Amino acid sequence: MEKSDSFKYYYPSEKESQNSWNTGFGLSVSDRRLAFSRQASFDQAREPHTPVSINLNDPAKPLLARSVSNIDIPTGLFYSLDESNKYSGEGNGSAQKFSFMLFVFSILRIMRSGNRYMKRLFVMISLNVAYSTTELVIGLFTGRVGLVSDAFHLTFGCGLLTFSLFAMAASRKQPDRVYTYGYKRLEALSAFTNALFLLFMSFSLAVEGLHAFIQDESEHKHYLIVSAVTNLLVNLIGVWFFRNYARINLVYRNAEDMNYHSVCLHVLADSIRSAGLILASWLLSLGVQNAEVLCLGLVSVAVFMLVMPLFKATGGILLQMAPPRIPTSALSKCWRQINAREDVLEIAQARFWEFVPGHVVGSVSIQVKKGMDDRTTLQFVHGLYHDLGVQNLTVQTDDV
Amino acid sequence: MEVQNSEHGHIIEVCGDVPAAGPSLAGSKICGEAACGFSDPKTSSEDAKERSAAMQKLLIAVILCVIFMSVEVAGGIKANSLSILTDAAHLLSDVAAFAISLFSLWASGWEANPRQSYGFFRIEILGALISIQMIWLLTGILVYEAIARIINGTGEVQGFLMFVVAAFGLVVNIAMALLLGHDHDHGHGHDHGHGRHDHGHGDHGHTHGGHDEMHSHGITITTHHHHERHYKHDDEHHHAYEEDQTKPLLMTSSEGERKSKYGAKQRKQRNINVQGAYLHVLGDSIQSVGVMIGGAIIWYKPQWKIIDLICTLLFSAIVLGTTIRMLRNILEVLMESTPREIDATKLEKGLCEMQEVVAVHELHIWAITVGKVLLACHVIIKSEADADMVLNKVIDYIRREYNISHVTIQVERL
Repeated sequence: MEKSDSFKYYYPSEKESQNSWNTGFGLSVSDRRLAFSRQASFDQAREPHTPVSINLNDPAKPLLARSVSNIDIPTGLFYSLDESNKYSGEGNGSAQKFSFMLFVFSILRIMRSGNRYMKRLFVMISLNVAYSTTELVIGLFTGRVGLVSDAFHLTFGCGLLTFSLFAMAASRKQPDRVYTYGYKRLEALSAFTNALFLLFMSFSLAVEGLHAFIQDESEHKHYLIVSAVTNLLVNLIGVWFFRNYARINLVYRNAEDMNYHSVCLHVLADSIRSAGLILASWLLSLGVQNAEVLCLGLVSVAVFMLVMPLFKATGGILLQMAPPRIPTSALSKCWRQINAREDVLEIAQARFWEFVPGHVVGSVSIQVKKGMDDRTTLQFVHGLYHDLGVQNLTVQTDDV
Repeated sequence: MEVQNSEHGHIIEVCGDVPAAGPSLAGSKICGEAACGFSDPKTSSEDAKERSAAMQKLLIAVILCVIFMSVEVAGGIKANSLSILTDAAHLLSDVAAFAISLFSLWASGWEANPRQSYGFFRIEILGALISIQMIWLLTGILVYEAIARIINGTGEVQGFLMFVVAAFGLVVNIAMALLLGHDHDHGHGHDHGHGRHDHGHGDHGHTHGGHDEMHSHGITITTHHHHERHYKHDDEHHHAYEEDQTKPLLMTSSEGERKSKYGAKQRKQRNINVQGAYLHVLGDSIQSVGVMIGGAIIWYKPQWKIIDLICTLLFSAIVLGTTIRMLRNILEVLMESTPREIDATKLEKGLCEMQEVVAVHELHIWAITVGKVLLACHVIIKSEADADMVLNKVIDYIRREYNISHVTIQVERL
């Protein structure tokens, strides 16, 4: 059984119904939260899988659906990627170790044809790396521990941003034998990691504030002003690059949104931190007591509030929570409609989860009367849930 | 076994006593509640037992840690030594990691609800991910501190003090590793190496009985080949006895029982959160060894201060290396990939070999957490076949051969 056979989609609904799910939920295009949707990625998100009518007797029809967008990988590249996957992965069916170097090279190739955000992220990472290296070298040579610690903090951040970039590139790969749903989850994972890092940072800032409160040593902050200002500038450039995602609560259309949002929050939090340090130094020079504790506390709370919604959303995806965008009223309406059919006895279970925002997977199990035509039931159920936006659906019909 | 001779001559019917399949299968094909297959009484009570055992271990480890930490803080304040206080802070991070593992263990037993239709088992994996990221973070902090020590270069790095503190930390860590790593509590003295495990031994369950695993089929045995957790390197020779995956149909029941216990014991891998805590402790002991070596060298030759940094870097790299395998497992679960122990191609081929099945599409196999696997696929059958019978056959096949009990099959006719 070749690879392409396993991924045919037999959704029996008309092409027009695919657009209806978007407008049925009170989310119009003029919604402020969707403001970033001016980007090109918006169209890509609308329907990732073209539904195809059931016509099993016609093998000539191409059944593998791919999303079409202007940021897709050029076809030649796709085939070479595919070949490399096949060669490295076909030896044993569930390919355990796909060769890492091959993967890295393919990612590098994709990055050259990357989209706008990937390029911006790349520029940001190189800026950060250059800055932190100079800081580290200067700190090592002049013997200032504060500079070295700042450089380390930056390096951690850079490492995370590199992982985000890697996730952006790697999530373009098509699904294969082992990763049957594709690689887009990597973006959600990188968003989660970023959010986690920001939470750690907020926590450590709080600890540092506590430390300063107990120990009351405030002189060592002064010479960090220059580095704090440069840090602030570099991070503000980053915020400008990702300005479309500079919100706290965001509606996620697809996987990339989560990743971009997390990168934006990362640089935003870093800039808040630098601003806090500058403010603390200034207040200290003004003679305000406990300025450092105040500022550190403020920054810590601010970063925490910034990150919490993203953390909860990514956590929900990773925990396979029910899709937040499909309201329970719609789901119960579908439930009632299926129950109302004459050949359906009851619905045993219906479970839905999101692979990435926008790609909902479901499995439904219904009990039917014996001898009924299952094809119409299947078509009905599939059509019903497809209108809601469920792409992969498996319906088990049990005769009682 | 009854033997009947039909009166028309040469037909002999042999009816065996097959304790399985039949009514129980149809009954358990569909489950009425939200998280079926994961919460039928047998598995849920096993789960609860396993979980409470793991939670007990972690709780004892946390209490031990807190005690040691308070001792170290008191001693450090008295002796006014920074390195002891740093070590105490390190123990605090251990407590945090154990707390996260405890919470994930407890939370994964929560009841499923309509928002979380599969239950909360994934929380284990997320908790383990957070633990591992903390290990990475702490290693980074340690490296930074080593560099800061070099830069500060203030006076003497007391080699002797380093050595003593590190030795104390090592003893504490070994005690906790023994506590967390001790799999079976049968009381027979099976010495599977010490907590340090630099030869990667006794991480896997052993085959002596004591667990009454009831298999629902008395005749067909599934020795499920689980990928074993080896922390540092592939001990390939340990896999030698895991070759056989499924046993032939006819086997004497005593042998079957023994093999089934073997299979069941193999299946009882350590809970992933306990593993994460164990990795944490292991990493700490490795670091302590590094500090001991560095302290000894500096004590011997006080001008080689750079040794501290080199040792820290080296041993930090080793600690990161131990986490890579577990991180890979976690990543694979989180990306909904086909679990390693299941061969999807073989499963597809096996399904297609059935007579009525024409094709298999959209086969998705993924794990909720380590050990709980789900499957969903579309099966195309011939037009004249009986859909219900095929459904039963397919579900039975998958349950028998691959031990996946939560299956959703969409049967379509050609």
